[in-house]
Amino acid sequence: MMNSAPTPVPPILSLEDVTVRFGGLTAVDAVSLSIGEGELVGLIGPNGAGKTTTFNVIAGVYAPTSGTVRFAGRDLGRSGPADRAALGIARTFQNIRLFGSLSVFDNVRVAMNLHATTGPGHALLRLGRFRDDEANVARRTEELLELFDLLRFRDAPARSLPYGHQRRLEIVRCLATRPRLLLLDEPAAGMNPTEKAGLIELIQRVQKQFSLSILLVEHSMKVVMGCCARIAVLDFGAKIAEGTPAQVQADAKVIEAYLGENHAQSLTHH
Amino acid sequence: MAAPDRRISLHPALVLAGALLAAGLVSHFSDHYNPYYLDVALGAGINVILAVSLNLVNGYTGQFSLGHAGFMATGAYAAAAVTMLLGPSLLGADGGTPWQQNLLFLGALAAGGLAAAVAGLLVGLPSLRLRGDYLAIVTLGFGEIIRVILQNVDALGGAMGLNGIPAYTDLFWVLAVGALTVFVVQCLVRSTYGRGFLATHDDEIAAEAIGLRTTRYKIVAFVVGAFFAGVAGGLFGHLKQTISPSGFDFTKSIEIVVMVILGGMGNTLGVILAAILLTVLPEVLRPVAEYRMIAYSLLLVILMLVRPQGLFQFRRPGRP
Amino acid sequence: MSEFLQQLLNGISLGAIFALIALGYTMVYGVLRFINFAHCDVFMVGAYVGYFVGQHVPEHTWWGGLTALAVAMLVCAVLGVLIERFAYRPLRSAPTLNVLIAAIGVSLLLENLGQHFFSATPRPFPELFPVYSWEIPHTGLLLYSNQVLVIVFTVFLLFALRFIVMRTRIGIAMRALSLNRQAAALVGINNDLVIAATFALGSALAAAGGILYAVNYPSIDPLMGVMPGLKAFVAAVVGGIGSIPGAALGGLLLGVVETFVNGSEWSTYKDAIAFGLLILILIFRPAGLLGRNVREKV
Repeated sequence: MMNSAPTPVPPILSLEDVTVRFGGLTAVDAVSLSIGEGELVGLIGPNGAGKTTTFNVIAGVYAPTSGTVRFAGRDLGRSGPADRAALGIARTFQNIRLFGSLSVFDNVRVAMNLHATTGPGHALLRLGRFRDDEANVARRTEELLELFDLLRFRDAPARSLPYGHQRRLEIVRCLATRPRLLLLDEPAAGMNPTEKAGLIELIQRVQKQFSLSILLVEHSMKVVMGCCARIAVLDFGAKIAEGTPAQVQADAKVIEAYLGENHAQSLTHH
Repeated sequence: MAAPDRRISLHPALVLAGALLAAGLVSHFSDHYNPYYLDVALGAGINVILAVSLNLVNGYTGQFSLGHAGFMATGAYAAAAVTMLLGPSLLGADGGTPWQQNLLFLGALAAGGLAAAVAGLLVGLPSLRLRGDYLAIVTLGFGEIIRVILQNVDALGGAMGLNGIPAYTDLFWVLAVGALTVFVVQCLVRSTYGRGFLATHDDEIAAEAIGLRTTRYKIVAFVVGAFFAGVAGGLFGHLKQTISPSGFDFTKSIEIVVMVILGGMGNTLGVILAAILLTVLPEVLRPVAEYRMIAYSLLLVILMLVRPQGLFQFRRPGRP
Repeated sequence: MSEFLQQLLNGISLGAIFALIALGYTMVYGVLRFINFAHCDVFMVGAYVGYFVGQHVPEHTWWGGLTALAVAMLVCAVLGVLIERFAYRPLRSAPTLNVLIAAIGVSLLLENLGQHFFSATPRPFPELFPVYSWEIPHTGLLLYSNQVLVIVFTVFLLFALRFIVMRTRIGIAMRALSLNRQAAALVGINNDLVIAATFALGSALAAAGGILYAVNYPSIDPLMGVMPGLKAFVAAVVGGIGSIPGAALGGLLLGVVETFVNGSEWSTYKDAIAFGLLILILIFRPAGLLGRNVREKV
């Protein structure tokens, strides 16, 4: 079939009229959103706006009451987090969830299992192929850690790292699963202004170096405005605005949503 | 910067072969050993196999299984069934040569392990989706179900049990199976794949988020653990020469759990030491045997209050 | 038909006892999210207290029986509070597994101390309450007073418990704790006190269960709590762990099913039936019949 126009590339992620109801409460109200390949999109809104629920729907923790979530055009249905990780969706957690008893090295190494070519049988037989694979895994883990200046902590228990390093490690662990879409859940939580600046730089570097699409849920306006090409705003579960940072900042509905709630943050600071 | 596993410069299979050779050598001089000490050593060895296999499930993967004795029972009966039902026809009237007997025993132990592994799969599949405390009760329940079933199968002796099991267990078998158990568990855990067991233990939600199939890990740990519990059961049956369902009850499961906790969950060396200690100690404390269970139970409580990581936790958890 | 009704009655009576024990499990689980393995041994202690009180009161009297019941419930309430204080409270912030193991330790300790002090041989339980039987005309049904006692008493205790949980301050505090322990502390609830009260209540119910059980199956031994305890726990899970009506329903269901199995050709498997039921529920409806599914917050 000859066609002069190239087939349009579907957005890497698209939410189509996604609604999530918990009993009588509508947490997410007919939200539609799409993220293009290589885009860095932010999702903001006052407390209780439904950001985390939307995030968790994309991550596969909740199934939507109605609506569809598509990843690279394919309906995700009721697949769980592990299936989505296999498809190329990685996520971080608001309260960092590292494997506390494992070393920094092993936290990343264990994430290499997703694309491993050897399994338990090989671990028992320990033939050449196993040893080669293990060497490859070790090498790739070291490379990743080195890239983010964490290699010097390789043998330390993950829980002994300072908070900022733990955040970084969690992101590095995600990268080990070779994602196409990275979901970041309030990565700036608990950070001071310097750390936030470092985070912005980290997110941008990660996006460029690994050619990722990123969805960033954040409270910190500084981080969101600093990173994102496009921002969607939720309030009471519904999307009330979407656009560039400048557009969103000027949007009357957005201002009212934040000020109307007596929200302490202004839209230009933090 | 070498990969961490390259510390073991010797191929693990060579280490295993060496251990088997040593087992054979030590066993060769069995006749010279004090029979009482030998008996205790055999008991200790069987407990080591039970504890190390349970450690994979409870310690490394963090799944609280209270039904290990049920798998031991399955293996004991399956192995005994092979030697007692198939033995006479395979070995002939004269009982066969030692080589033939050992071969039969190997088959019996393998059958015991496989039977227990199948039981482990049947138990694990519905149960392992459940959280810690639920899993504990369900595995306990399954252990009881297995016991009740065995009590009702008259062909296997019913409540009276099986007697006259041939005495095939000797030092070589116990040491060899022990070495094999440790080999399998260590090889599994000390690999990139094996890190998944620990990750499942630490944080299932995070593990799922990075693509680890946590239920699959739990099932693998469960089935492997059950397999070796079954083999240990086979060894047990052919040592004591008599088995009955009541000997594989909840109390037995608890004894093995205590060994794992005492040794430090996820710490194979510690668990081995704890198993040996808890086999030898009752013998040493024979004069006060009636206080043994009271001491056991107090130990459990005090341990949890004072030193939950176990007595033999030498290094930080998580390091292989 | 009358055979069926008789069995049904027996089952309801047995189910009432399971319900009493199950309530203790479900209340503690609701508040602390862990299975108190030692609960079934409190049941046993209750029966033994009843035994010893029974040596000092005349048989076949209402006041004698009620005294035994009251003393047993009181003693076990205290025992429950002590166990919680010394074995569980220090572990409140530890991983659940540690508390579970400690609970197993306490359970074994009670059983073995019981075997040591009371010897393992079963003792006959005194006939505490007056014994009547009535035959219901036209049905051939026989009603035994001890069975009726169990049912009546359990219903009474259920209503009392419901009243406490719904109408009194401590009951509301218990419900608050079961929903969110940290928030409860933040609004000024004395968690330690409420948890102690929960254990006291649950243990008192277990003691009542122990005596009512012993009155109907008059042979007690230090390990008498193990099987009923396990089954009562199954009942609590089947009904929906954390749900009080669920525990009652689960207990009833289990009692009836077990009684019918006992009267059939599968009677030797009756112990396994409870676990079979457990597995079925956990596969098809893990939250239990009346329970609600609580997910961990991500």
